[in-house]
Amino acid sequence: MSIAVRDLVHIYHPGSPLQTKALDGVTFEAERGSWVAVVGHTGSGKSTLAQHLNGLLLPTEGSVSVDDIQVRHGEESLRKVRQKVGLVFQYPEQQLFEETVFKEVSFGPRNWGFQAGRLEKSVEEALELVGIGEDLYEANPFRLSGGQKRRVAIASTLSSDPDYLVMDEPTAGLDSPGRRQLLGLLSDLKKLGKGIIHITHDMELALGLADSILVLDEGKSTLWGPPGVILGELLERDIRGLVIPDLVRFAGRLRDLGFEVPLTWEPKILAEAIGRSHGR
Amino acid sequence: MKFLNNMTLGQYVPVESPVHHLDPRCKIVAVLFCLVGIFMVRGPLGFVMWGLFFLALVGASRIPARLVLSTVKPVWILVAFTAAIHLFFTGGEPVFSWGILEVTREGVVMAARMGLRLMLLIMFAGLLTLTTSPTELADGLESLFSPLRRFGFPAHELAMMMTIALRFIPTLLNETERIMKAQIARGAELERGGPLKRLRAFIPVLVPLFVIVFQRADDLATAMEARNYTGGEGRTRMNPLEWTAGDSAAFVFSLLFSFLAVFLDGRVTLP
Repeated sequence: MSIAVRDLVHIYHPGSPLQTKALDGVTFEAERGSWVAVVGHTGSGKSTLAQHLNGLLLPTEGSVSVDDIQVRHGEESLRKVRQKVGLVFQYPEQQLFEETVFKEVSFGPRNWGFQAGRLEKSVEEALELVGIGEDLYEANPFRLSGGQKRRVAIASTLSSDPDYLVMDEPTAGLDSPGRRQLLGLLSDLKKLGKGIIHITHDMELALGLADSILVLDEGKSTLWGPPGVILGELLERDIRGLVIPDLVRFAGRLRDLGFEVPLTWEPKILAEAIGRSHGR
Repeated sequence: MKFLNNMTLGQYVPVESPVHHLDPRCKIVAVLFCLVGIFMVRGPLGFVMWGLFFLALVGASRIPARLVLSTVKPVWILVAFTAAIHLFFTGGEPVFSWGILEVTREGVVMAARMGLRLMLLIMFAGLLTLTTSPTELADGLESLFSPLRRFGFPAHELAMMMTIALRFIPTLLNETERIMKAQIARGAELERGGPLKRLRAFIPVLVPLFVIVFQRADDLATAMEARNYTGGEGRTRMNPLEWTAGDSAAFVFSLLFSFLAVFLDGRVTLP
């Protein structure tokens, strides 16, 4: 059970002066219960890729399949794919429109035809996951704080009970407690068996959280693999717009100086290794 | 899925061409003359002349013909409707009848005339906006209307409002597309059912769009005030408009052409 992307090419406005190749032969796979980070600079094709994963855009060439359902033209298969793959856009709070939080979060499940009973249950579960209490069910979503709005918007995707969750820069514009809370939520969802596809420009975040990382550059998948492998590659070659975390750079420098420390992005591991080399 | 990416009306195509380099004031007034000229021709000769003139202009502007043609797309229903009305409701010598509908010879002529006229009008106006950036257009209008300032006409304010409005069209189209996609991702069906159902289905798009529009307007007003914008009095320009000999030539030519087309058209009567 996975989302499989093979040699995906996407061309915007083909045949017009505005023609641009946004994706150029992207291949990767995201399984349920795993966390895939898609990392790249602005304009690398991350958001275009995200929209392919639930059929908002269709491949110019190559293929995308979700649990063996091909993403292609056709009302029925597209709806099936869209329900399986929840897509949360950047700044999802800008899509809010209902009068109450509860109605907002039930928009998705109602569209998918959830029956009464299952509908309420899925809405309540989604709101509980994001930490919105019953006292806010009847609140006006426009009156909530920024972080609360974001969580309601995410709940409105979770309530459709998708098997995969594609998040486009979910932490953009959040303060640091908000960030931590949201990333914690994604970890919980992964433990519940959902496939997380996390689109971000933040390599440090990706290294720390993802099971696999896809690096996009100019629409091409330049790197694909587990964080450890990606890290080695990153130090070998320079990829435009990707910042190597300070700690990794620091560990690399220590190794150059002859210290026996691992290349890592985790402060704890590095600190322990330095401690050991000093006999502590 | 087709979203909103096939809109060209009011979309500037920045390429290097003699038409692009003309002074916006020249282009605006010349287009006005042409529009009047197109309205005044009735016969085949007049339309052929305007058609050829238009083709020459498109060639000189280096804008792909397909883009120019697509300016008619948003209003083709209006063109077709107008032509149909004239086709079926003009009295005269019948050539064809089908039930209560009767097509007359005069109807065919009128339909062709009105259809061509509308298409030419739209394409001329379209070519103006394809070759003139919104800012240039607003500057041109401001300059053309500035003599009226003496009578309290807010030329600068109107031009500024127009620039801002035009500037926000692509932004709002993008925002609309983004919100539509976000709602479709949540299972909204925007393109199914009858007109009333579709209208209702658009509420989830319209509400967020309004919120964004007001937010943007507010942000923009703050940003303008923060940079000391207080209105037209005493403002200078980054690129002052310059009327060159080329502008005069283009202006005189289009004026003469309009007169010539109308004059010659009057000499050749309809068959």
